[in-house]
Amino acid sequence: MLPLLLMLSIFMLFRGHNLPGGGFIGGLLASSAIILQMVAFGPKVARRILPVNYLILAAFGVFFGALWGLPALFAGLPYMQAFWLPEPIPGVGKIGTPVLFDIGVYFTVIGVTTKIALLLVEEPILFPFPEMKSVPVDHQEEVA
Amino acid sequence: MLYPIVFIALVASPLALIARLPARSLIAWGLAFIPLTLFGLTLTQAGPVLAGEQVVEEISWVPALGLNLTFTLDGLSLLFALIITGIGTLIVGYAGHYLGADSGLGRFLAYLMLFMGAMLGVVLAGNVLTMFVFWELTSVTSYLLIGYKHDYPDARRGALHSLLVTGGGGLALLVGLLLLGQMVGSYEFRDILAAGDQLRAHSLYPAAVILILLGCFTKSAQIPFHFWLPGAMQAPTPASAFLHSATMVKAGVYLMARLSPALGGTALWDVTLAVVGGATMTFAAIVAMRQFDLKAMLAYTTISMLGALTMQIGLGGKYGAEGVATNILAHALYKSALFMLAGVIDHECGTRDLRRLGGLRRYMPQTMVITALALLSFGGIPIMFGFVAKELMLEAALETDLGATLSILAVAAIAVTAIAYLITGWRLFSNTFLGQRSTAAMQQHVDDPTPGMLIGPGVPAILSLFIPLVLLAPVSTLIAAASAAIYGKPLEVKLALWHGVNPALLVSLSAIVIGVAMFRFAEQLANMRGWPIWLRGDMIFDRLIERTLTGATALTRTLQEGRLRRYILITALTMLIFVGVPFISFGLGAIRFDLDPQLQFYEILAAALIPIGVIATIKARTRLGAIIAVGVVGAMVALLFVLFSAPDLALTQLLIEVLSTVFLLLVFSVLPVRFESFSSAWVRQRDAIVAIAMGILMGGLVLATATNDSFAPLAPFFLENSLDKGKGANVVNVILVDFRGFDTLGEITVLFIALLGIYGLLRLRQGKDDVTPERVPTTATEPLSEPVNTQR
Repeated sequence: MLPLLLMLSIFMLFRGHNLPGGGFIGGLLASSAIILQMVAFGPKVARRILPVNYLILAAFGVFFGALWGLPALFAGLPYMQAFWLPEPIPGVGKIGTPVLFDIGVYFTVIGVTTKIALLLVEEPILFPFPEMKSVPVDHQEEVA
Repeated sequence: MLYPIVFIALVASPLALIARLPARSLIAWGLAFIPLTLFGLTLTQAGPVLAGEQVVEEISWVPALGLNLTFTLDGLSLLFALIITGIGTLIVGYAGHYLGADSGLGRFLAYLMLFMGAMLGVVLAGNVLTMFVFWELTSVTSYLLIGYKHDYPDARRGALHSLLVTGGGGLALLVGLLLLGQMVGSYEFRDILAAGDQLRAHSLYPAAVILILLGCFTKSAQIPFHFWLPGAMQAPTPASAFLHSATMVKAGVYLMARLSPALGGTALWDVTLAVVGGATMTFAAIVAMRQFDLKAMLAYTTISMLGALTMQIGLGGKYGAEGVATNILAHALYKSALFMLAGVIDHECGTRDLRRLGGLRRYMPQTMVITALALLSFGGIPIMFGFVAKELMLEAALETDLGATLSILAVAAIAVTAIAYLITGWRLFSNTFLGQRSTAAMQQHVDDPTPGMLIGPGVPAILSLFIPLVLLAPVSTLIAAASAAIYGKPLEVKLALWHGVNPALLVSLSAIVIGVAMFRFAEQLANMRGWPIWLRGDMIFDRLIERTLTGATALTRTLQEGRLRRYILITALTMLIFVGVPFISFGLGAIRFDLDPQLQFYEILAAALIPIGVIATIKARTRLGAIIAVGVVGAMVALLFVLFSAPDLALTQLLIEVLSTVFLLLVFSVLPVRFESFSSAWVRQRDAIVAIAMGILMGGLVLATATNDSFAPLAPFFLENSLDKGKGANVVNVILVDFRGFDTLGEITVLFIALLGIYGLLRLRQGKDDVTPERVPTTATEPLSEPVNTQR
């Protein structure tokens, strides 16, 4: 399920400019996919499948989003004025700074949502029961 | 050429860090070439200024705010710039000797350079907002200089006081300057100075004057804000010499002098300045006379002189303007020399307590001669520059337009101050150089410092003698240019040592006679009973800070006592009061109840399921049931979004619904399955009332927003421009990432900050728990390994 849902989320991200979707929805979709993984197999497995530091991913998203406001500044226009490539790229669609900014939103949403879930799941005070640990590990071995 | 003058010191300040290397005193003199160069550069600009013109340079910085990087050099700026760079050169070289044994010298000199650049910015700025930026920079850099010896609590306290007092004044000043700019319609000094009559007639004039004066009085240590200045003596002596003779504290005087042509001429401005300045001058002079610490003594005389300058601006007139300019120069020269000499004595003897010093005339003859010169100018003895300056001050008091009473009071205050200065000077000199040397109290080996260290105090002390004897003509031109800027009209100035026998001379001479006659009682005067506690501003201020902190803690404890329902209650009540009350008073008329006749039955059904879901949530006995019921509410809201053609919102709503259900399940899995009730019936009724009121308010607000037609709706604009300008057919998304992209950027930033908050809450609490260190998970990847221990 995970690859499929992640593909869908990226699809949502890029089609967002013309049809329902966008960075926020795409990001939520992707993080639901990861969280689904986490609930099913436990956080350790989820971490092994997608070895990503979500805190840094979220920070990167904000940074990346803010970055694409800068070109306008260099051109002497107000911050975040949009720029577009003249021709659409096949398979991706038109690329301009708003789309790139939307990718920043996408990463931020994934990072924040998943990290919060991870923090909760890995909180030893919330989950001090050994069952929580043993079940996913067994499951994972079956899969392997 | 004005830009380099301001920015060279700021940019070159990191260069000063090399002074941490050995041969520090040599490096320091090398670094002194930077302010010396600035002095030279300023002099190259002096020609047209002395002829009565202005040098103006302008760059547009933030045009939307009227913030231009304008720099202007006129007479007053020239006088200050020359003092700052001239004294700065000597201070940098002197600091190399004074702090030669300190490996932090590099850091100290870097702060000093930064400060110098900021100060030059203040006096050269041609725009009030530019000036304010530099003004705040002087507050910050002087905080760093005063707190340089940060391992001493007193140094930290002094630095904090200075920052809080000048910073607080700075806030008042900013508002005052903004008012000024609003009244004139420009933030350029030249426009403000040209609009004097318009300003004085404006209804906001008193407010602006009071706010600006608050800023100036705090900066220039006028009563009752004077207390931070003696505390600032914790700074290393070179910093004290620079900050308190020539620069930092004079910034307030500078601004008052700069604005007096525009704001002066009213009773509010003139009388306030004259009275506050006169009171500060007299009070501080008497306190100074009774000090035992060399630097504390000089600190109070500095406050006194700042009072004198303020008073002269208030007294006004031709002599007032001349007196301000002349006294600024005279004071900068003798006071910087005296501070540096206090540093020399401290450095050589290991103490600066007058009760432990004495008999130094045999060991430090050169120091004694220079000190004598500086003290003679300080005491206003004839043929010294200080005498010329004091005569002008007396003339200003005698010739003032403020009426006979104030004139007589001012003359009397100046006479008392002059007597106090003489006694202070005598005590400083006799306790240090005369009498017997007490070997126990001082270092064993005491003699004159290296010549390099005496250059610093020597040059200004000798200038105090040379200016009236040799350089009177060129200095007169400079003073004329400076006082013209204070007076607002060109002035003919001819400084002279001898004005003939006139009232000023008589007052001056009789003050000298009385002062000298009182020399033999000087020590008795100093040893009289101390001051009552209510005069100790610094103590009161300490308590004020303490109270503020306890008050803030108590308030935080009440508002945020740690229980989630209390937070929600307070948030809801605040909203009910601050949104609900205005809404009921003004907003109710906007609500209209017209039902859409096209309403379909499934739409009504979806809407009706929402309140049912809410009631089910409240009534649920188990947590799982509550979660499912909340899920119904969310799903119905999403359905409504679909029905009313908002697919983006519906998608988002559904995804959020899924995620929050997962989150709730995660948290609830460790809580008991059934709800248990701990709160009393009364509390639950109260919460129910607040919740219902909140629901009605939010519903009303949404209804009012949706049915209000008093504003042009924004939707058509977005619909029309989305494809064209935003290049996207999905209007919602185009709004998010393009039209309102900046909002979205703010939102994702908030999202990230929320994550950091949650991260901190969950992770930091682990460390604080009484878990033994080896049980705390070492890496984030294996936190679940430890609960095994609890199983046993």
